[in-house]
Amino acid sequence: MHARDVRRWLGWSIASGVAQTALLCLQAALLAWGLHAAIFEQQPAAALVPAVSAYLLLALLRAGLVVAGRQFGFRAGREVVAAVRGELTGHLQALGPLWLAGRARGELVTRLIDGVEALEPYFARYLPRLAAAVALPLVVLAVAFPADWVGALVLLLTAPLVPLFMVLLGDRAARASERRWEVLTRLGEQFFDALQGLATLRLFGAGARERARLAAGSERYRRETMAVLRVAFLSSLVLEFFATLSIAVVAVLVGFRLLWGDVAFSRGMFVLLLAPEFYIPLRALGALRHARMDALAVAGDLDKLLAQPLPQRRQTARRAPPDTPPALAFEDVSFAYEPGRHGLDRCTLELPAGATLMVVGATGAGKSSLLQVLLGFALPQQGRVRIDDRDLDTLDLDAWRRQIAWLPQRPHLFAGSVRDNLLLARPQTDAKALQHAAAAAGLDAVIEVLPAGWDTRIGEDGYGLSGGQAQRIGLARLLLRDAPLWLLDEPTRHLDPAGAEAIERTLLRCGAGRSVVWIAHRLGAAPHADAIALMQRGRVIEHGRHAALVAQGGAYAHLWQAQGAA
Amino acid sequence: MAVQVPAPATPALLWRLLAVMRTHWGWMALGIALSLVSTLAGIGLLAVAGWFIASMGLAGISGAAINYFTPSALIRAFALLRIGGRYLDRLINHEATLRALSQLRMWLFGRILPLAPARTGFLGDAELFSRLRADIDRLEHAFLAVLVPVAVAALAMPVIVLVQAMYAPLLAGLTLVAALLVAVVLPLWLLRRSRGPGAAIVALESEQRALASDSLRGAAELALYGAGRERAQRLEALTGEATPAPATPDRLQSLGAVAVPLAAQGLAAASLLLATGALQRGALAAPDVAMLVLLALAAFEVLAPLPEAFAQGAVTGEAARRVFALADTPPAVHDPAHPAPPPTRFDLHWRDVRLRYADAGPWALDGLDLDLPYGSRVAISGPSGAGKSSLVHALLRFHPIQRGAIALGGRAIDEYAAADVRAAIAVAEQQPHIFNASLRENLCIARPAADAAAIDAALACAQLQSFVAALPDGLDTWLGEGGVRISGGEARRVAIARALLAERPILILDEPLEGLDAVTARALLAALAHATRGRSVLVISHRAEGLASLVDRQVSMQAGRLIAAPSPVPDAGPA
Repeated sequence: MHARDVRRWLGWSIASGVAQTALLCLQAALLAWGLHAAIFEQQPAAALVPAVSAYLLLALLRAGLVVAGRQFGFRAGREVVAAVRGELTGHLQALGPLWLAGRARGELVTRLIDGVEALEPYFARYLPRLAAAVALPLVVLAVAFPADWVGALVLLLTAPLVPLFMVLLGDRAARASERRWEVLTRLGEQFFDALQGLATLRLFGAGARERARLAAGSERYRRETMAVLRVAFLSSLVLEFFATLSIAVVAVLVGFRLLWGDVAFSRGMFVLLLAPEFYIPLRALGALRHARMDALAVAGDLDKLLAQPLPQRRQTARRAPPDTPPALAFEDVSFAYEPGRHGLDRCTLELPAGATLMVVGATGAGKSSLLQVLLGFALPQQGRVRIDDRDLDTLDLDAWRRQIAWLPQRPHLFAGSVRDNLLLARPQTDAKALQHAAAAAGLDAVIEVLPAGWDTRIGEDGYGLSGGQAQRIGLARLLLRDAPLWLLDEPTRHLDPAGAEAIERTLLRCGAGRSVVWIAHRLGAAPHADAIALMQRGRVIEHGRHAALVAQGGAYAHLWQAQGAA
Repeated sequence: MAVQVPAPATPALLWRLLAVMRTHWGWMALGIALSLVSTLAGIGLLAVAGWFIASMGLAGISGAAINYFTPSALIRAFALLRIGGRYLDRLINHEATLRALSQLRMWLFGRILPLAPARTGFLGDAELFSRLRADIDRLEHAFLAVLVPVAVAALAMPVIVLVQAMYAPLLAGLTLVAALLVAVVLPLWLLRRSRGPGAAIVALESEQRALASDSLRGAAELALYGAGRERAQRLEALTGEATPAPATPDRLQSLGAVAVPLAAQGLAAASLLLATGALQRGALAAPDVAMLVLLALAAFEVLAPLPEAFAQGAVTGEAARRVFALADTPPAVHDPAHPAPPPTRFDLHWRDVRLRYADAGPWALDGLDLDLPYGSRVAISGPSGAGKSSLVHALLRFHPIQRGAIALGGRAIDEYAAADVRAAIAVAEQQPHIFNASLRENLCIARPAADAAAIDAALACAQLQSFVAALPDGLDTWLGEGGVRISGGEARRVAIARALLAERPILILDEPLEGLDAVTARALLAALAHATRGRSVLVISHRAEGLASLVDRQVSMQAGRLIAAPSPVPDAGPA
């Protein structure tokens, strides 16, 4: 739909350009005739009034066409930007959180906003001007030849030289433009990074050092930009050279032919009036050259991003997931974030339906990877995950995710009100259910002291909310979600012991009857879990009930003692 | 928390901008002069050409002799001036602008730095980024598209009018009126009309940036809640042709763009009629008629960029407003006029300290008393919101305190330069920023000249040896933006290593055990106790248990003050 709209708006924009050219030729003819009548036929001013009135009418018409043409081009440009931005956002989301986590966000935002925006001038102005640059010279030549073939010949001979030189310079310009774009994205990345770490820089008195580093980057950007501009200006120098020179040559040639009586004044004047107009579209095109170069560089860059292959699941079937608390089974599952960096390494694990499994182990043991696989963010390279009697790979992923409530390590707080942030988990929720969930998560006390209560906007990164408070937002989302499967990634981190115990009680109470995978560093709730799995280097090394594992005296017992002693 | 300054008018902002770019004025003047020469040459070329062919035509008919050498030489000279001048003018004007912008960006960064974290938090990283990047880029227009065309028009127009007045005074008057109309009245009107939409465009872009950044950072949650599609659509809707913000300025710009050619054509028509009248009366030579008509057509080239430039000026003005608003935000804490020499003793005392973040807000610190003699180790525990972080922020001079005093080495900390106070303290933050750089560079922020042995020791103490060993390039492994390739617990231990490497008399650890399993936690505490022997240590944690092996005193905080009397922990003092 977008493509059709774009084509239509572009078509109108170009048509208005061609119509302007026709009007322009008529105007030149009227003016040349008027001058001829005044100078050579000694007509009084009154006799010129009809021609002058027609000239002014045409001027108004042309102005109208310019405004309209620009509107059409503008719409085409906006449509393109919107469509590309939407597609790119969709693609980035489809690439998934794991892929995104490995990328610099400042750079992606630069591409998504500034990068895509650079396409607008290309579609809104460059393409219509390009069409005009082709159409106008043809129309002008068609009318100039019958009027004075010598002047027209000058135009005809110089016109093709302009695009020729532009093409010759174009390659170099395109390369320079790509380099500049690359430097710009890297600079953006650098600045964004420094801004995020401002407090750290101040802590260590490293602000001046960072500033010097940024200044070097900024300077490099300036040099690269100038390199692009120098090439662009060189091509406009060529254009200016031919445009100006041919006006001079037409004037001199026509002058001498007039002296020799070879041509009538009105015809010679007509060609002289058209000569500057002849180059205007080409000149305008030259002014927009960098728009084209930017757009091409950006398009190439975005293409690379769009060409990033989406994670491929091994099965193509899309079965409906169970809508009751599922039994989960990992069978020999391996998953590596990148070659050599294992998240799971031949991991085998079972969870009966409706049971609570507590997963413990050192950082990097693969606990979060379990959740990433269950969420469908990480696709196992080996082994399979069974959900009841179905293979996770064969489930409809969106439907499966609807069965999950997840409390991530660091819940993301979206820019918006506290209410919006909770409603995300379940859009159709009434105020009472919201209150209830907030109370159960211990969020109500937090909301009470916020300046605007439920409507308080929590800034880009949840400014004003501490880690513990953000955690409670995550908890409230979890409770609101009311899903049969719970995935909890350290639900009590950032909380003081009293708060942590209260939350653990809530989780045990509300989680009863659901399937729960609970990653914990604090072992306070461990005795209440149906099973414990201790992970090390991507696999489960001990599995069983709390009492049994403690009695067994293995790694888990050691961990339990360490925590008790602490 | 950007300070609300009454918004100054756009011209005032642009003047201030020029004042900041002072060092580049020489280049700018040269650029304007070149631009003026090439513009006048272009106009002269057409006018002389018109005169020339009319004269030649008349001579051809009458058979009279004519000196065609002078005008044709003039035509060639104008052509060359035009070509060369235009090239140099562009080159120099852009060079001057880009240099000025680069300088401006670093100037702004220097102004932002002292604002962190007290005054920057509310704006958010993405918004700061917008101002530093996009807004400053937009200021390019202030010189290239506003100042240069205005100066050239102001200098060239009198020349043109003067020439016209020598031939046809009435026409000169008309030109003057038309020029004022399309170059002054119209642009000012456009400027007034586009101020609102201009601000809206800048705000819209900021919104898009924030939405994009938010959608990428929260991608996992969005995927789970099935809200990703909706976000992408919202971003698309904020962009599409239906968005009114960019449409209005574009329409205004196009009105401005057609007004000047329209006026030029109107003047050409008037020139023809007036000059014909004068010719009939014998007040004008015949070739001058052609010259005046072509002069009228060409002269308005000078004015052509103005209306569009002024419409752009609104957007530029808004960008300048945002940049200066940020630059003018006073830091939360000022250095004293005559700072005391850097501290040489490092005993710390908080006495009846009260602090709040907003004038009417709740007290974050409410009469806090705490002593940390040099070499002692204290753990402060308490629920989130008890004031633990505020205590540290006040000490680091990130926030001013409203009452009481904090003394470092026997002197109130506000008598020192804030940087000297911070230089005595190393902090391992709870949510540290991991820079987009190698692990080594991330550590060496604390001490650029740190040698390999010191780095190894710090890593060992932070229990990071096996983590580093598993990294593909060891210390030279690149850590992604926000440290996302490493877990939160690892990031926190990198921050601990960083703080140790700084080797400062006072060490502050914010939630050092968060996210650690019990075994690693114990090893970390033991190593820290050893590594920090003789120095002051302040540990902040929301829970008290598990810290006894590191500290010799544990206190609790609630509602901005200590609640339990400091109780010495026996047998755990510094060895």
